[in-house]
Amino acid sequence: MSVKLQPAEAIPLSLYVHTPWCVKKCPYCDFNSHAVTEQGIPQQEYIDALVRDLEFHLPEVWGRRLSSVFIGGGTPSLFAPEAIAELITAIRTRLPCVAGMEVTLEANPGTVEADSFEGFRQAGVNRLSVGVQSFDDQCLGKLGRIHSADEAVAAVSRALDAGFASVNLDLMFGLPGQSMSAALADLEQALALAPGHLSLYQLTIEPNTPFMHRPPEKLPADDVLAEMQDVLAGKLESAGLERYEVSAYASGSLQCRHNRNYWEFGDYLGIGAGAHSKLSNAETMYRFSKPRSPGQYLAEAGQLSAVRGHRRLEEADLRFEFMLNALRLRDGFSIGLFEGHTRLSYSAISESVGEAVERGLLVEHDGRIQATETGYRFLSDTLLLFS
Amino acid sequence: MAESATDHIRNFSIIAHIDHGKSTLADRFIQLCGGLTEREMDEQVLDSMDIERERGITIKAQSVSLDYTAGNGETYKLNLIDTPGHVDFSYEVSRSLTACEGALLVVDAAQGVEAQTVANCYTAVDIGLEVIPVLNKVDLPAADPERVKSEIEDIVGIDASEAVETSAKTGVGVQDVLEAIVRDLPAPEGEADQPLKALIIDSWFDNYLGTVSLVRIVDGVLKKKDRIRLMATGAEYMVDQVGVFTPRRTETPELRVGEVGFMVAGIKDIKSARVGDTVTLRDRPTASPLPGFKEAQPRVFAGLYPINSGDYPMFRDALEKLSLNDASLHFEPESSEALGHGFRCGFLGMLHMEIIQERLEREYDLNLITTAPTVIYEVVTKSGDVIFVDNPARLPDVSLIDEIREPMIVAHLLMPQDYVGSVMQLCNDKRGIQKDMQYMGRQVMITYELPLSEVVLDFFDRLKSVSRGYASMDYEFLEFRAADVCRVDVLINGERVGPLSVIVHRSNAQYRGRELVKAMRKIIPRQMFDVALQAAIGGKIIARETVKALRKNVTAKCYGGDVTRKRKLLEKQKAGKKRMKQIGSVEIPQEAFLAVLKVSED
Repeated sequence: MSVKLQPAEAIPLSLYVHTPWCVKKCPYCDFNSHAVTEQGIPQQEYIDALVRDLEFHLPEVWGRRLSSVFIGGGTPSLFAPEAIAELITAIRTRLPCVAGMEVTLEANPGTVEADSFEGFRQAGVNRLSVGVQSFDDQCLGKLGRIHSADEAVAAVSRALDAGFASVNLDLMFGLPGQSMSAALADLEQALALAPGHLSLYQLTIEPNTPFMHRPPEKLPADDVLAEMQDVLAGKLESAGLERYEVSAYASGSLQCRHNRNYWEFGDYLGIGAGAHSKLSNAETMYRFSKPRSPGQYLAEAGQLSAVRGHRRLEEADLRFEFMLNALRLRDGFSIGLFEGHTRLSYSAISESVGEAVERGLLVEHDGRIQATETGYRFLSDTLLLFS
Repeated sequence: MAESATDHIRNFSIIAHIDHGKSTLADRFIQLCGGLTEREMDEQVLDSMDIERERGITIKAQSVSLDYTAGNGETYKLNLIDTPGHVDFSYEVSRSLTACEGALLVVDAAQGVEAQTVANCYTAVDIGLEVIPVLNKVDLPAADPERVKSEIEDIVGIDASEAVETSAKTGVGVQDVLEAIVRDLPAPEGEADQPLKALIIDSWFDNYLGTVSLVRIVDGVLKKKDRIRLMATGAEYMVDQVGVFTPRRTETPELRVGEVGFMVAGIKDIKSARVGDTVTLRDRPTASPLPGFKEAQPRVFAGLYPINSGDYPMFRDALEKLSLNDASLHFEPESSEALGHGFRCGFLGMLHMEIIQERLEREYDLNLITTAPTVIYEVVTKSGDVIFVDNPARLPDVSLIDEIREPMIVAHLLMPQDYVGSVMQLCNDKRGIQKDMQYMGRQVMITYELPLSEVVLDFFDRLKSVSRGYASMDYEFLEFRAADVCRVDVLINGERVGPLSVIVHRSNAQYRGRELVKAMRKIIPRQMFDVALQAAIGGKIIARETVKALRKNVTAKCYGGDVTRKRKLLEKQKAGKKRMKQIGSVEIPQEAFLAVLKVSED
């Protein structure tokens, strides 16, 4: 497939920072997180390692402007605001950033963390993502969360008061023993707090989690889950939060730019333990990741040995991975975006798009491709046409 | 008495039930006679195919020639002819036994006698073989040699008082078995100066040599460069090689009267060197062939289709390769609207079918859909023609049929008294007609005439469950017999799917149809749309089930960062779909085609 090589500069670049520690690991979580040990978090050491890691990759992204930063985890809010300030300053002094760059930090809604929110904002964080998950103490207990519903309400209020440009709430549904009315109550509590952004996702039992080995009891049946999804989404829409991605809802201009960049198949550099990167250079696109274990990461950050699983993306990878991400966006993608961000010609997918259109899974109009109602509901089936 | 050429030869087989230790005992013989060095003794030399080893079943007959120095100081040539050990291969067993003068009846000293053993032992006695009873596994704590000896006397009807007790595992008594062979089995008879008469015990295909046949020289001598004739086909060849297995293939100048060995004669395919055929010399033929030659008749049929239609050429090659070594595997191209291009394959029985299917999937990495096994029906049309139907979809319109005849078998079932009632109940449910019942000590042998079509469904599984695994069975084909059968079709979203059709007895048709769609509803996964399943006889719908549509199928959370996990998930889904067949817009898993086997009559 002959390709008009676009310079990498034409592809937006985001930075992801991973902090791998949590007070305690939740039984449903399959992210790279580790319970804090008695020695506590080696905060300064880790910030230094992140900076070494970033510096190692600077030549690969030289001259490009960062469009967003996302500090995720684990629980980044376990870090002191001073440490986060040092990190953000280190990033800003090493890479040019777009004006008004979105800087997100994930926070746990505990009392202690809430005390840091103001400090995080002063450190340069302008978007806070609060992992509430539920406002029901019983559900929170089953999920292994360490905060209470009251704490969550208080924490979100403080986040909103702290003056962040945007606050996101993470909310789950389909929890063990959860009824439709309980799910609705959770959502109404969330809406009452009036965040500008909401991530609403179904509890999924992932491989290699305690929930997979010992599934929680009374998980709602598939049909109930589908019903919940529909009812909750309708509720959100009428509250003015538009579903712009499978699990993401935002009002007006408050969509998450960082996540949108993933879904639009932009570039991202990942620093921190277990962080994943996808970058383009003049010739190729490639992925790599960092050691998952904090100890190993601290030892190797900033050295070539920390670059794991380096893999060049071939045409088949590019088309599938692009669709995997871009079709999650409710408004889909433009053909121009596909060609620009994969550097493939549209003919690489046009035949499969045609088949999906024929089967009523996708629609194509004015150079945009997006999932139909059915295609969106059955996104996994739709995607298989491109694998 | 003048010593004849065959005095120091003993040809024998081992009759044993699966797992009663035949292969281990054979290995001990080879070890004791120094056929292989310690290092070469791979475990269980005789069962050379992986699948044989895993299932503990011998599929191809093989042989080994051993030099044994007996207690009397003289050296004997012992030819062990291994026999296939399953009900599907009874003809092959009878040919192997014909090549012997004696047999070891090996019985597990803890488990006792099984029907398969009894049937083969009867065959041996009928042929006139001397049978030496051997109790194996006497080292087991559960071993009860006295009980098993009386069982052998009661059931098989041979004197077991002198039965040799051994443990092939520990090696105890193995020498005694060899001594008994030398002492109790007769030497082969036969005339060295008569024209050549040799029995083909088995043939297989070797990539380098072509067809290799295992033969027993009944009269005369077979030499390299001999011009031979195979009497069933009349085809003539020149012998390239003869020799024996020690168990290594070892060339010898000739095979003499009474001996067992291999022959290579530039025979292109094994169908030309059939089991049971007689080999003689072109220029000095024997007057009459050996009796008992039969052509292997496939009794069980199924359609096999590659899930991925692109695999068809590979599938055809695989079948051709397998049939090089399996004269009883029949196949011919068949196509179906639903499943595309495939083959209708004929097998000796259910086990044969399973083995072929497994080898195709394992050795040739093919993903196949197998339709429900069916038998061959003899159909008399209104115009008086007799046609054979091995595919339910091809059954002529009812208005054209005068009579349908189904294949009947005679089954001998052996079980402890406690289970007689439930086994008889099962046979009656399966439209069996009881012919005989004999008490043999604590065991009972019942004889039934059964429609083969009922046996190919789930009979063996049900037999196992109603008798807690204690009943065993042996059967042979009897005849075609008129039966009131009809075809039940399955419609998916209104379309008849030919490969899902089954022919069943009319009295069962309603029930079978209902259960069939019910079983399929459980197997077919929910999809994007409702799937309607119907069973019909002719134009009449007799049952209906619906697989309700799934409401969504989408991954909730997707962190763009680590795309690998999400990819893996979808790749798994894709692999799952690969094992399903698309019929219209409906995805049907392989198992759905065998749903009819899951319909049990409780």
